[in-house]
Amino acid sequence: MNKLYLAGIIAASLLLLGTYLSVGTSEGGLNGDIVNQLAVLGAVFIVLIAIFVVVKYVRQMQTDTADGKLADESWDGIGEYKNELPMGWAVAFFSLMVWGSWYMTLGYPVNAYSQIGEYNEDTVAHNEKFATKYSDISGDRLIEMGESVFLAECKVCHGINADGIDGKAANLNKRISVESVKHQVLNGSNNFLLGSEMAMPDRNGLFNMNSGELISDAEIDAVSAYVANGMSGAGADVFAGACASCHGDDGKGMEFVAPNIVAFTPELVANVVTYGKKGAIGRMPNLGDRLNAKQKEAVGAYITSLSK
Amino acid sequence: MFHWLEKHPFFFAVGVFLVISFAGLIEVVPSFADKSRPVIGTKPYSTLELAGRHVYIKNSCNACHSQLIRPFKSETDRYGHYSLSGEYAYDRPFLWGSKRTGPDLHRVGNYRTTDWHENHMLNPPSVVAGSIMPAYPWMFTNKANVDTAYAEQLTIAQFFSVPYNKAVPMKDGSTKVVKMGSTLADAHALALAEAKVIAADMKNQDVKDAVAAGNIPEIVALIAYLNSLK
Repeated sequence: MNKLYLAGIIAASLLLLGTYLSVGTSEGGLNGDIVNQLAVLGAVFIVLIAIFVVVKYVRQMQTDTADGKLADESWDGIGEYKNELPMGWAVAFFSLMVWGSWYMTLGYPVNAYSQIGEYNEDTVAHNEKFATKYSDISGDRLIEMGESVFLAECKVCHGINADGIDGKAANLNKRISVESVKHQVLNGSNNFLLGSEMAMPDRNGLFNMNSGELISDAEIDAVSAYVANGMSGAGADVFAGACASCHGDDGKGMEFVAPNIVAFTPELVANVVTYGKKGAIGRMPNLGDRLNAKQKEAVGAYITSLSK
Repeated sequence: MFHWLEKHPFFFAVGVFLVISFAGLIEVVPSFADKSRPVIGTKPYSTLELAGRHVYIKNSCNACHSQLIRPFKSETDRYGHYSLSGEYAYDRPFLWGSKRTGPDLHRVGNYRTTDWHENHMLNPPSVVAGSIMPAYPWMFTNKANVDTAYAEQLTIAQFFSVPYNKAVPMKDGSTKVVKMGSTLADAHALALAEAKVIAADMKNQDVKDAVAAGNIPEIVALIAYLNSLK
């Protein structure tokens, strides 16, 4: 027994003692916790294996003599034994080659992580979840959904109360304003409100059938006030003469011909959202790519509900 | 040869360097060149837009607003399609930004309009309740620097072959030509023509008068730039 063995035994005992103390004094201690018991058992095994390996190789170094054959080459006087290729090493080497060719050709290209791939998967999963969760949403819940879409996408221009923030955008609590009607009559309109191209002529194409002449300035003012007022007051005769042939006697529009100018409809709102609009105040951008069909339906329901 | 290399460490090091550089070159350069090519639909900035970009940089808009949409669902829902590297081909320098005190602006031209920007730059809380963005009233009186914008156009057209006055392919299959003036006076005329289109959608009478008189306030240039971000 020399000093080296002694130092080894002291170090191993200290390590074991340290492990026992730190585990034993921790919460749960050695009695209550299977993980702590396993930790101490593992420490004992590691020490035993270490002792076995060290003793084996120290003995070998002390007693072994070389019996191999030296290679012919000599590198600065250092020789090298000619050894057989170790079987384990050879197997590992060749399996690595097989795995390497699989990884280069199929493994990496097919299974590689891609940020865009993850994004695409997320999007598909989200869209599926959205479709199943909201497939049969209707009534008040649809309006609620429309309100949250409105608050996310529309309120920066139309305001939290949809009042258009003092004329900065259209007031959606009301179907149409006097200025807006007047602007459309003076300039015509082609805003895809029906979902397809359907132009309304400007004042040079609007005949008043009662007078048999083009609509006049006074008549424009009268009919603007009449329409903005919800089809009441003076101007009914001008409307009947110049507008009713397309927008209908009640102003509720005609399919494929003219939009409803008395009340919002969900389809009308969805079309404005999809195609954008240029009107009396300015241009509304098209938000067609930003909302899906259900969200457009919802925001249509919400805006329709505002002026009811 | 290998024995010789083993005896001459310097040349061995040179050899190692050459081999590794070659591997790097053939792996990195083609992919880099491909990714930095302009995406279809990306066109160079016009004179007025470039002047607006200078206003944007001068007022440090990029300190609070990023121009880089990451590929996350939550982000693309709000800002639109994630950014592609080729979309920055004509940005010198790019304005990715690293902080979002305000929202991302990389596609702001898709969902905000001229008159909205006009209201917003003059008084942000008037359109966005609780906004902490400062107002930029001087942009309505300061004149945009068209000279510098034109100088930049000339430089990048010459040194980086930015395709001014050439057909640029757009997403719908059509082509667009972004014009660059042949003289400084020509550039001013082009910028003014663009400014008139923007000013027609604006409400501020002083700005409209200035443009009608041939001056371009900074706000007009900035709006032209913001509208071009799509």
